[in-house]
Amino acid sequence: MAGLLTLNEVEVRRGMDVVLRNHHLTVAGGQCVALVGANGSGKSTVLEAAAGLLPLEKGSVLHGTTVIIDHEGRRRTGPLTLGLTLQKNGVLGSEVVEEHLQMACSMGGTSTDAAPFLAAFNLKHRAKDLVAHLSQGQVRKIAVLSALLPAFASDEACLLLLDEPSTGLDDDAVKVLCGWLSALRQRGHGLLVATHDQRLIEQATHLHDLARGATEPCKAPTDHPDITTPSAPSRRCSPAAFGVKTHLQTMLWLNTNGMAALLTLGILLAMGTFYPDLSPLQQLGFLLAPAFAAGLCGEPLVAAMREERAASWWMAVGGGVPHAGWMPLMIGTVVTAGASVGFEEPLNGLYVLVGALLCFAVWHGVRFMQMATVRLARPHAAMVGLLTPVLILPYAVLIDWLTR
Amino acid sequence: MASAVLFAGFGGIGASMLLALLWAPSVSIDAFESPAAQRIFYWHVPAAWAAFIAFGALFIGSGGWLFKRSERMWRLHVAGSEAGLATGLMTVWSGCVWGAAEWGTPWDWTDVRLNTFGLLTLLAVYVVLGRNSQPDGVETRDTFAAFGLYGFVLVPLTYIATRIWTIRHPGPVVGTDDGGSINSEMGLVLFFSAISFTVLIVGHMMASMRLTDLEQKLERLQSQTDKVV
Repeated sequence: MAGLLTLNEVEVRRGMDVVLRNHHLTVAGGQCVALVGANGSGKSTVLEAAAGLLPLEKGSVLHGTTVIIDHEGRRRTGPLTLGLTLQKNGVLGSEVVEEHLQMACSMGGTSTDAAPFLAAFNLKHRAKDLVAHLSQGQVRKIAVLSALLPAFASDEACLLLLDEPSTGLDDDAVKVLCGWLSALRQRGHGLLVATHDQRLIEQATHLHDLARGATEPCKAPTDHPDITTPSAPSRRCSPAAFGVKTHLQTMLWLNTNGMAALLTLGILLAMGTFYPDLSPLQQLGFLLAPAFAAGLCGEPLVAAMREERAASWWMAVGGGVPHAGWMPLMIGTVVTAGASVGFEEPLNGLYVLVGALLCFAVWHGVRFMQMATVRLARPHAAMVGLLTPVLILPYAVLIDWLTR
Repeated sequence: MASAVLFAGFGGIGASMLLALLWAPSVSIDAFESPAAQRIFYWHVPAAWAAFIAFGALFIGSGGWLFKRSERMWRLHVAGSEAGLATGLMTVWSGCVWGAAEWGTPWDWTDVRLNTFGLLTLLAVYVVLGRNSQPDGVETRDTFAAFGLYGFVLVPLTYIATRIWTIRHPGPVVGTDDGGSINSEMGLVLFFSAISFTVLIVGHMMASMRLTDLEQKLERLQSQTDKVV
């Protein structure tokens, strides 16, 4: 059978410790490999390395025959549909259960009816609820389903990476899960499951002991539930589409960027009727200040996506971290037009366009800085805001250039 | 060794300041609004020179860690960022003192050199504070080494700023085509001060690298103790 996953002499460091050294592991289609080992032995590290989430000191990770990450930091999107359940659930509280599952399914280019799966997990009545309204165990079921559904809907072999999927699940749900794992394996998908749960280990065709670094075959059950999953082609949900949708649903843009722009404009207007007495350079600087302030707040989704490691899930499965995409253009346009009205200036199309582009460039510039610190153990403590003055100089140069 | 170099630097800087205040000739009253304040340049220019050395060390250390995974280069990154922060702040505050006396304002937001140097110092603040907020690990080191590496682009920008966009900050006083704008006694004191600052910054970085080395040894011993316990 074709190899779906290969960890090729991988070395991974976490903190100052080398957690994996020259580690080799393969998962072929039709195999269910159970990762076993004591706490801290590196099961989650293997799984996250396999998902391409961890930088490698040595070696490479292949999905199919494509190197998705190597020790020189080269990354490539894998050709396989990936189903992933991390230790954290990887789902935002602001998402609707049904929509999240359809979006996860769309990562494989398909859509399917999630209702039977929700019913099997006693969650059918929760399909229209926000994830934030569910209990921890129910959210865990959603996280597991979002990894399994794309494989059930796909005719091609998928790679499933599951980290402690049975944690927080009741006995009935674990029995259902065991049946699904068996069914998926027999459909030709490849599964890598990190677990301490004996019931899941019994579903494995191979055991990979991290202490010894060796994989041994074992006898897996041959019976499995008959599951029919009619599927239809679906358009893949991009990180930008999801980001814009989340912004619009949660009004994150208004809470941070929009308020910064409004406050800046409000303070400038509250200072009195000084505007006509300013030089053209100062006038343009004031006119564009709200759009600049909106951009300086950066991307609020970066912080929001830290919830349940949703950013990591998206990075591995969706090929990127969700972002606001074109939204800063809209915000820059509106606040610059608003500033023109506020300062009683005739609406200048060029300045509105510059405001939109300025907001877009600064927003994504700050996002770049925010993203540069996401690997840190305490990214919120890294004080990225200290770096934002770097953007003031290009702003000043732009204003100077426009008023010459 | 590091302490001796550090103290030699302190001594040299003390002597330079005495020479600057008591021996070096005064500048032409016509050329400056506040000629007495001009003497701060014996501190300001060498501090900026030392800052560039420190930022150079930060650049080399960052690259050395990222590309060679060298512990020694990481120690150089730490030492360079701390020395860059110290000398950057020395340069900025002395510049503000002079600006307040000569220009009537401590800071000019339209001057490119002031602002690029300010940003460079801010980068050092960020690297030092940000790194101290994180546990030591490959993730922390990679992230801040990348900032150290990319932030270095501000160094040549700051250096050439007065040649391209001079607005208020004086241009170069040495190393120019016309031989510079200071006389030999002033040049001698400036040179002595620059040497002293260089010795100080080298001593500072040696001490800092030694300190980081000891911290790493302590960390390893703690890890070994954790495993035994």
